[in-house]
Amino acid sequence: MTARDKIKILYIDDEANNLISFKAAFRFDYNVLVANNTDEALKHLHNNPDICVILSDQKMPDKTGVEFFEEIRPSYPNPVRILLTGYADIESVINAINKGHVFRYIKKPWDEQDIRSAIDEGYKFYITSSMLAIKNEELQKAYNELDKFAYSATHDMRGPILSVLGVIDLAKNSDNIQDIQDMLGMMENAMLKLDNYIQNIHDYYNIRRGEVKITDIHFEDIVKDMQDIYEVTSKLSRTAFTTGTSQPEAFRSDEISLKIILNNLLSNAFKYQQKSKQDKFVDLNIEVAKGIATITVKDNGIGIPESSISHIFNMFYRATNEELGSGFGLYNVKDALGKLGGEIAVESKEGEGTVFRITIPSK
Amino acid sequence: MSSGKLHFIVIDDSKLDCFIAEKIIQNTGRCESVKTFQQATEALAYIKELGAAAAATIVFVDIQMPVMNGFEFVEAFEALPEDHRKAYSMYMLSSSINENDIAKVKGYSSVKQFLNKPLTASAISIVLENY
Repeated sequence: MTARDKIKILYIDDEANNLISFKAAFRFDYNVLVANNTDEALKHLHNNPDICVILSDQKMPDKTGVEFFEEIRPSYPNPVRILLTGYADIESVINAINKGHVFRYIKKPWDEQDIRSAIDEGYKFYITSSMLAIKNEELQKAYNELDKFAYSATHDMRGPILSVLGVIDLAKNSDNIQDIQDMLGMMENAMLKLDNYIQNIHDYYNIRRGEVKITDIHFEDIVKDMQDIYEVTSKLSRTAFTTGTSQPEAFRSDEISLKIILNNLLSNAFKYQQKSKQDKFVDLNIEVAKGIATITVKDNGIGIPESSISHIFNMFYRATNEELGSGFGLYNVKDALGKLGGEIAVESKEGEGTVFRITIPSK
Repeated sequence: MSSGKLHFIVIDDSKLDCFIAEKIIQNTGRCESVKTFQQATEALAYIKELGAAAAATIVFVDIQMPVMNGFEFVEAFEALPEDHRKAYSMYMLSSSINENDIAKVKGYSSVKQFLNKPLTASAISIVLENY
């Protein structure tokens, strides 16, 4: 076992000799930190969040072991606490359990085997309760998302439907063909919006529940796909679409996740353009070097207000009034990147444009 | 003073919903003017600019909008001086079936009523009976 795999434990005792003999006895089996007063112990706890088991002497000059445990419990609730003492009166045992929430109580002078079994049992307890805490956190996150999802679904899915119903009601009472034609166009947009939203939900579940399938990635082919997808959009919106690819080495990743990422960033880049501006462009550049793919999506569109940048990856957050946004796209990008172990950085200036820079390691 | 002409303001981030509301309002025969805003911030600026000079106006505001939502708009409106506010009657609109939203609307003294989307000719005519 290397030092990294060993269970990290902290032992506090005011007698230097005890610390030395403790370390000598256990340093091969555990990653042992020692402290001869509680201040030093606090420093260790602060610098080593991965301490699993704390053993403390009860009788120390500045405070008792129980007092120390009681004091650290709010800030460091996870490590398992074991108390060592030579003076075993019933009062201190009761205090240790009720106030210090100790896991084991060991009498001094200690027996090595007792300590070892107390640490190993304590570690098992630590792992179980930490896992539980992590699972609970995940569960809470899933609940929160579900709540948000239900709330947004009523708005984002019913919204376009209700709009279309409203227009139908109007159109029924109109004999003006031109008006009705205009209304049809609007209904079409509302349906496109709904469709876009549903596709985003599909992406969301693909990323969330889908398996990652690692294959050889040929970025030239992917870029070609993107060119095909955005050819019409580019022409209709008079926005130049330029691309560059450089892939001198093999790259392995999940193609579906990569495509979800590119699709979202590109559709945003085309969507959030300044309508009347000349020389609109979207540029996609992919470079692979030393096992890392760097993807850059650049546009000279409306940009993102500084106050919004930190929120854009949140679910259902929308920074603008642009009609077709669902507040889902960048959330999916971030989620997909999480699966691929990638990172994203954004630079943007209102009225000038936005650059998204993504790095993804080859698997 | 029933059947007099009124001013209208519609605030909705959806262009289509603004259009629907505008048409329906124009069809009521009670419309002196109708202004639509896709951003609540712009509507607020407009109301501030008119100040105490505003004539009787009915406001329809959507709840879920990006940047400034309907609740934020009403809160900002309620912070305006009394003589700037007295001309306006506020109605909140939403496609949400969320009870919290509906309950929240009741907490705003300046909001007359919560209406479901889409705005229809019959819903508007019921509203207009009060004016």
